[in-house]
Formats: sequence, C-alpha cells, structure tokens
Amino acid sequence: MSILLRNIIRFVLLLLIQVFVLNEILLHQLVSPYIYMLFILALPFNLPRPALLLLGLLMGLSLDMFMNTMGMHAAACVFIAYLRPFIINVLSPQGGFETTQKTPSMTSMGVSQFLIYAAILVFLHHAVYFTLEVFGFANPLYLLLKIILSSAASLFLIILYEMLFFSRK
Amino acid sequence: MRNLIIFLRRYFNFFLFLLLEVICIVLVFQNNSFQRTAYINSANNISGKLYDKYNNVQYYFHLKATNDSLVAENTRLHNAIATSFDSITTNNGVKTDTIRKYSDDSTHKVISTEIRKYNYAAAKVVNNSLNKPMNYITIHRGSKQGIRPNMGVISSSGVVGVVRSVSDNYAVILSLLSKSNSVSISARLQNGKEMGSVHWDGDDPEYATLRDIPKSAVMHKGDTVVTSGFSALFPENIPIGYIVGYLQGDKSSTSRPIKLKLATNFYNLQYVYVIENLLKDEQQSLEDSTYKLIK
Repeated sequence: MSILLRNIIRFVLLLLIQVFVLNEILLHQLVSPYIYMLFILALPFNLPRPALLLLGLLMGLSLDMFMNTMGMHAAACVFIAYLRPFIINVLSPQGGFETTQKTPSMTSMGVSQFLIYAAILVFLHHAVYFTLEVFGFANPLYLLLKIILSSAASLFLIILYEMLFFSRK
Repeated sequence: MRNLIIFLRRYFNFFLFLLLEVICIVLVFQNNSFQRTAYINSANNISGKLYDKYNNVQYYFHLKATNDSLVAENTRLHNAIATSFDSITTNNGVKTDTIRKYSDDSTHKVISTEIRKYNYAAAKVVNNSLNKPMNYITIHRGSKQGIRPNMGVISSSGVVGVVRSVSDNYAVILSLLSKSNSVSISARLQNGKEMGSVHWDGDDPEYATLRDIPKSAVMHKGDTVVTSGFSALFPENIPIGYIVGYLQGDKSSTSRPIKLKLATNFYNLQYVYVIENLLKDEQQSLEDSTYKLIK
C-alpha cells in the first residue's frame, strides 16, 4: 500500500473513531481522550514542513466541523504539526532514523523513543486545546489536572492503536 | 528589499505557522462571540448527513425500549378512553365528536352520549434542562400544530409540565421541576381521594413534595398520587408520583408534607403529549362570571 493511500485511510479512520466512538464515551469530567492527532504523529518523516502544517490544519478543521468547536482543534493541531520536526530532531540518533520505514512508529523509532515522542506531542496538543476550551474561566488546577489526565488516556489509546496496526515488523 | 525576501524565505515555515495559528484563533473568537454559528455548523452538509445516518443506527438500538414504552402507553390509553369523554345529560343539537354507549342486552338502547373533552397531541422533545431552579423543555410543535400557552403536558408515565410560550413550530414547557410557588399541580391520593398540591423543592429531579394533605389521611409507602382533574389543565387520574415518606413539617399544622418520587423520568424524556382541553374556555368563563357575581 502506498504511503499516500495509507495516510488517507488513516485520516478517515481516525476521524470516524474520534467522532463516533470516543466523543460518545463520557468517562469523566476530567478525562476526555483524543486519538485523531495520531494522524499528524504518523505522517512520513520526509514530508516538507509547510505540507505538515497544512495537513494539521485540515485534520483539525475536519474535527472542528463535527464538534462545533471551530478553530480550537485546528489551533492545537497546527501547533503540534509545527513542533513535530523539532521533537524528531531531538530524539533522532546521530544519522537520523533508518529510512527503511518512512513513518514514525514503534518499530521505526523504537518503543521508548516513540513513547517519548508521542507523549510530548499529545501533552502539547491537549495543553493548547484545553486552554482554548476553558478560555475565560481561570481555574488553573482544574485545567492542569484535565490536561494531564486526558493526555494519559489519549496516550494509552495511541499505544493500543499502534499495537493493533504495527505489530508486524 | 533583498534582505527582507531572504529573511522571509528563511523563516517561511515559522510565518506559515503564525498565519495558520492566527486563522485558527480568529475562528475560535468568532465562534465564541457568536454562539449561533455553532448551530449552523451542526447543520453543515457533510457532518449533518453523517450524523443523520448515525442517528438512524442509534435509533435502531433503542427500538426495544421505545417499543416497551409504546406498549405501556397503549394499555394506559385503552383504559383511559372512557374517562376522556364527558357525559352530558341533555341532547341538544348534533355533536360531531361523540361516543355512544349501548346496553348489552337485546334492546340495545342508548345509555349515554359523551362528547370529547380532551385531545392529545404527541410531540418530540428537542431540548430539556434538569439542573436549573426553573427548568424548561422545548418541543417540536407550535402554534401551527395547534399548541397554545397553558396546555398541560404529560409523558407516557406521568405529568411533565405546562406550556408557557409558543412560536410557529416550537413550544416551551415550564417543567414540573420549577422551584417556584406559582408552579404547583393539583393532586389527589389515588386511594384516599384527599386533595393536595405538588411542588418541586429544587434539588433532586427525581423527587418532589406533596403539600396540604391532612394528617388524618391514611397512606402507605408506594401509593400513587394522581392529578385531581380540578385545574382544567390535566384530566384526572394521571400519575404524578409515588409516596416515599414523610418530611419534617410544621407541628402545629393540620397537614404534613410528603416526599414523592416523580412518575416521569425527566432524564430521558423523548416524547411528550400535549393535552388540549376542549371545554376549558367554557369552564373558565363560567367560573370567572360566578366570581364576579359574588363580588
């Protein structure tokens, strides 16, 4: 399967999971997991940065359209799409990641590297999103707790997803 | 100039990032200051269609519950047919909407002629609140469908509230869950026939208080409290709630407050019935003119 097709399928699949499964589950007031930004995390390594930003915007706006939160998810997605190359640079070994596999995953980056990579970006995404969401009501402890707990839940889902689809080497 | 272009090219990514981020923030602010655009988004072509499809699937899974409530409703209606009609003693003129009762024996005589008093109209609940001191329910039926203010509203299990205001296609119901002295429903014990009034005290959407029942009334836990039929809003014998226990009241009073579990489950209200009392104006004007006479 070509990388383009694979990413298009992942885009639709993650959007549908997010809108019709995760948004329907009310775990707790403080825990609202999001998995759709895995699309941005799993875009190919060598994608030009402007394309990365525009795809992030597209993904965010698509979800915003479903959730009536115009702009909030888009802002968070563009933010992590911009920061993604920096994080990869910091985490990559001397010669860059092996180019046999072109997308970030547990097998291409190594489990611990991928976890750190995902954790940082998920946390940043949630920080931006929830800050925009509770805009105006200053209750920093609630906000911080919500960001941390939701990040943990999202990260757990992302690991599950990775294990489901990338177990083969 | 050349330096500027070089500068822009070097930091192109950063500027693109800033531009996109500003677009997003503008969208957020626009959305926050005009909450109505949020509703327009919902009706957005693609998401609207998908939600519609998804709703169909969800509706299918709820069929069993819907079916059960419809069967219960049917049984109740079968029992209620006779009480929806009001018997008259004189036969003056032709009635277009009447029920005639005949005797069972061979003579087959007309025993009584009854005219329709109540008309029920089903309506879908589109908005509902539970956690405010005054709770309102919006239904998808309005003046075009014959809904007018001050009509009673019931669900398949019990009393819901009273229509407060009406637009062309929607009506807003003042729910029974309203903490106010003006909202009270004339009630009666089904067994003892003692009269009282039901109020909501503002904390739990499942419980209400029944007042003005004399201490002498005999009652048991689980007894049904029904509408009295005095108020012209509701027919009699529609369940309001079930007795849970006594509340602490004024010791010198001859009555004591009673805690009720409400018959209607306000948490999952889907369909309600609006009751039109065809004889309401007649009752009202007669009562009003009598009060004037006394004054």
